[in-house]
Parts: sequence; C-alpha cells; structure tokens
Amino acid sequence: MSATDWNDRICTLGPFEPAPGDGFIVCRCVEITQGDVRRAVHDGMFTLHEVRRLLRCGMGLCQGQICGRLVRGIVAKELGVSPTALEEVTARAPMRPVEMRVFGSEEAGA
Amino acid sequence: MSHYDMIVVGAGPAGLSAAVQAASHGLRVAVFDENARPGGQLFKQIHKFFGSKEHMAKTRGFNIGTALLQEARDTGVTVVLDAVAVGLYPNREVVVRAGGAVRHYKADAVVVAAGASENTVAFEGWTLPGVMGAGAAQTMMNINRVRPGKRVLMLGSGNVGLVVGFQLLQAGCELVAVADAAPRIGGYGVHAAKLARCGVPFYLSHTILRAEGTGRVTGVVISELDAQWRPKSGSEKHFDADTICLAVGLSPMNQLLRMAGCAVRENGDVLCYPFGETSVSGIYAAGDAAGIEEASSAMIGGRLAAIGAAHRLGYLDAQTLAAEQARLEGMLQSLRQGMFAPQNRGKAAQSTDEGCPLSSSLLGQGYLRDDEIANYPGCKQAKGVHPVIECTQNIPCNPCQDVCPKGCIRVGANIVALPVVDKTATCTGCGLCVAACPGQAVFLVDEDAEPGFALVTLPYEFLPIPKAGDKGTALGRGGQPVCPAEVVRCKSASAYDRTSLLTIRVPKEMGMRARFWKGGAA
Repeated sequence: MSATDWNDRICTLGPFEPAPGDGFIVCRCVEITQGDVRRAVHDGMFTLHEVRRLLRCGMGLCQGQICGRLVRGIVAKELGVSPTALEEVTARAPMRPVEMRVFGSEEAGA
Repeated sequence: MSHYDMIVVGAGPAGLSAAVQAASHGLRVAVFDENARPGGQLFKQIHKFFGSKEHMAKTRGFNIGTALLQEARDTGVTVVLDAVAVGLYPNREVVVRAGGAVRHYKADAVVVAAGASENTVAFEGWTLPGVMGAGAAQTMMNINRVRPGKRVLMLGSGNVGLVVGFQLLQAGCELVAVADAAPRIGGYGVHAAKLARCGVPFYLSHTILRAEGTGRVTGVVISELDAQWRPKSGSEKHFDADTICLAVGLSPMNQLLRMAGCAVRENGDVLCYPFGETSVSGIYAAGDAAGIEEASSAMIGGRLAAIGAAHRLGYLDAQTLAAEQARLEGMLQSLRQGMFAPQNRGKAAQSTDEGCPLSSSLLGQGYLRDDEIANYPGCKQAKGVHPVIECTQNIPCNPCQDVCPKGCIRVGANIVALPVVDKTATCTGCGLCVAACPGQAVFLVDEDAEPGFALVTLPYEFLPIPKAGDKGTALGRGGQPVCPAEVVRCKSASAYDRTSLLTIRVPKEMGMRARFWKGGAA
C-alpha cells in the first residue's frame, strides 16, 4: 500500500497479528493499549478520527495531549505511511475538560 | 461580552511579549493564562540564556520573566490567571473558563501563544510513577523545589534533556545516563560538555527497553539500536534508577487555532504569514504554539505579532511598522543561524563555518578530546592568565565578546561565529567571560602561575560553594579524575550573577586538561 492510496477502503491490511508492545497503555486517560489501536486499524479504522471515535483515546482528561502523537505513530506504522500523512483530529471546544456545572454557568465577560 | 483591542492566550515569553509590545502602542490588552502564575516556562529556566545583548543573553530565564512581568504592569496589561481559554470562535470570540464560570470575550486581534506540550514515548513500564517529562521534573525542582528523585536517567539529548539534566545535578540528583535514539547528541555541545565533565555518560543510538519496578520505577534497561532503529539483542544495559525523564521533543498547543479554522502546514504546524498572522485574519500565532523553537525567538515572535496587530488596528503607521519589523526580524535571523538552526536540522555537518572540524567526540560522548582542543580559535595557549574558550560549534551567542573589558575575545558581527581569543590583548583575569558564558565553556588558565603549577578558573554552579584550601580532585573533560587539586579561591560577585569562579591549582601539564573539580579524594 502506498502513501497515496492509504485511505482506499478496498485494501486490507491482512489479519491482526499480535506483536510485542501490544500491552503498553498508550492513552492513559481511557486506558487504551497499543494493541487496541493496532487492532482498530486492522478492523478498518484508517483515520485518526475513526480510531478516536471507536476507542475514545484522546478524549479523556488530557484531551490527547499525551497520547496524540503515540496513536498517530502507531496508526501510521500499521498503514505503512508517514505520520504526517494522517490528518489531524478535529480540535473542538472546550479544549480542556470543563465540568457541566461550569459550562452551564455563562457569565457576561467581566 | 467584554471587548479588548487584543486578547492574548498564554502569559509565557511569547504571550507576555506580545501583550507588552501591543500595550506600548496603545492597545487595550488582556492576557489569559491557565496557570496560577504567569511567565510560562520562563520561571523554570534558572540557566543563563544564549544570544546577544538584544536577546537578553547571559540573563537567567526567571530574571527575563520578572522583567517582562514588570513591563506588563508598567504598560497596563491585564493579566488574568487561572483562566483557561477553552474555545476560539468566529469573529475572534474567546471563551474563557475562570473559577466556576465561563465568560465570552471579543477582541479585534487574538494572539494564541499557548506554548507546547511534551512528547512522550511508550515502553514497558512507562506508566509507572517515576517516569515523567523533563519539563515536569524541571517544574518540580525549580518551581516547587521538590527533588524528582535520587537517581535519574534522561532520555533525549536535545537542549531540553541536557539543560534539565544539568539542573538535576544542581538539585543534588545523580544522573546515571543520558540516552538518545539518534546517533549524535542533539543539543549544544557546550551543554553536553557540562554534563560530561561531571561524569555523566552518554548512550547514543540507544533507547529505553523497559522501566523496572512494581508500584514505582526502581530501574531501567536501555538497549542499543541498529541502523533500522531496532534494539540489538545482547546490548542491554541496566541502571538502578528511581526516575526516568523523557525529553523527546515538544508539540505545539495549537488546538485553539485549529478550532478557529486556521490552515495548517503539512507538518501539522499552523500556517503563519508575516507577523505570525494565520489564515484567519486577525488571529496570530506566536511562540511554540506557532512552531517549536526556544524562548528567545518566542519573545521576538510575540512582539512581531503585536506590531502586526497594532498596524492592522490603526495604532501603528506603515513606516514605523516597517522599521520595527526589520529590527525584530533581524534579531530573529541572528538567532536562526548555525548548525542548530531550523533549516539545518537533520544535517550532519562535518565542520564549522570557519572550517574547523566538528568534534565527533563532542557529538558522541559529550566532550572534546584533549587532542582536539587546539583545533579551535578560542583555545590558544598563551603566556600568563588567558581565557580558553571551548566553544566549538556555530551557535548564536556572543556575551563573551561583550563582557571582556580588554577586547581579548572577538566573535564579530555574526553571532554564530566561534569566539577568537586575541593573544595580543592583555587578559587581566577578571573572569567576566567565565561567568557570562551561558554554556559554561570559558575557563581561565594560567600555566605560569607558580613553578610547576597552573591555575585553572572554572564556572561553578553547585552548592556548597568550595572554600580556599579545600582539597579535592580535578576532573577532565570526560569527568575522569586527572589529578589532586586544591582550591585557591572561589569568587562570587554580583556581576557574575550567581556563577562562582572556582580557581584550582593543578600540576602545570594539567592546565589544559582539568575542567571540573570535586571535593575529596578521587
């Protein structure tokens, strides 16, 4: 698979083969392992968006600040592409976790 | 909804610089920072900065921070702390969480100077307590005054790893090794040399295989990497350690910019036009949020964003803008030169701009070999006391030239040039160059001080401060004991800014080899 057709849904990566390091936790907030991410790619999640939606890695307290690069690296390696070939996940507000009671308490700017 | 001329997100070096510069042109500015204290990383930087006078070189980072905060007060900038900018919406609407509420603000210009976050690497045991970012260790030491551990292994030999490594030694930790997957030390040679002469070993082409321990780190195993970056079996090395620091790069915190729709470049950084303006008009990026560099260039980037915004808003005429832009971009250019400049990253230079061979020992082991010293124009032998400047890579820095009252040291207009010692000028041994050098690479050597003995004066930044008459051991550039050495004097002066000048007496033939001192027998 080349870098240009990496997102071709027809292609398959072959079956998921366990590898050393599969047990390492990469997303500490949601406790997602390297193996979880690799398996998701083999299940057809070829973009960081899909991996995030499926596994919720990067959606915890740190909002992907710790695992973002790690997950990107794992997905890229599995697809055989450069990490920069993968589109960044969408940044959404609030960019830090905010409790609902705070988020619901809007005040006019002081 | 409150309105400001300019809102700055982040009160670090870039954000504060942007704010004070904009306020000086008459803009009403508010700065929001999520931390309890302003200054960003500046107040963790206890070392002296590189650059030239205009970049505040030889000033310690926290003193630059203090000066910036004073400037912010003087110019009437509103700095709001414990205030997290959680959203950046169309028409420059900034949503800030502070206390138990969120508030909406609008501004005619928004500067995002949110800084960077530390990268990490995953290995077996990396989630154990005791594994931390080098920046986290620095916060513990220099802000909270807590020692992160007793025995530390540093992964990463860039300037962050080297500088934090030295600060760990200053805090009284033992640094068991600096490891890096790359085959060459990534940071300045002078920073590596400070560690090497304290006896810290470097392991290049090595990575961490696993952290050992249950419940917390008790050890670490590193392994050599082959040309395909795979661990070589049989090359494992074990260290007892309670702390592992990761200094494996930084990533821009540009989420707010991307949220606002700012275009990004192929490498993931936000696309910036002159003045750091993004593809969304009125929104600027400055400092590490715009692209990873260091604090000195971040401060200039902040000021550039501010003048761009001030002009856009009608506070600065085109002529003044052009003059200020030329001045600031000139300052930036003088920093972005030499073998560590952004455009030279990844290139394995073989010699300096002057044609001096780059020391492979410095790049591989962290120190110059004794037989390489004579290759450099700052290391010439002379009669009487004279400076020996072991500055052998083209880095943007020239305080040694500025402080010498006798004109013994010449860097020239291009501040990445290697310093040259002028043998015809008369060194008085004042030691200002020794104290000023941010790389602690200047020594005073007097090989004719006493019959059979040389005096070596070296920069010393450890406690306790030695006293005249203290007996100990002189260490070579690689940290190996070279001879017994007695302290002749240890000078501290306000002009030295907390760097002590330690003078030791060594046998004459050791004058060009002894570069550190340790109390007690070898």
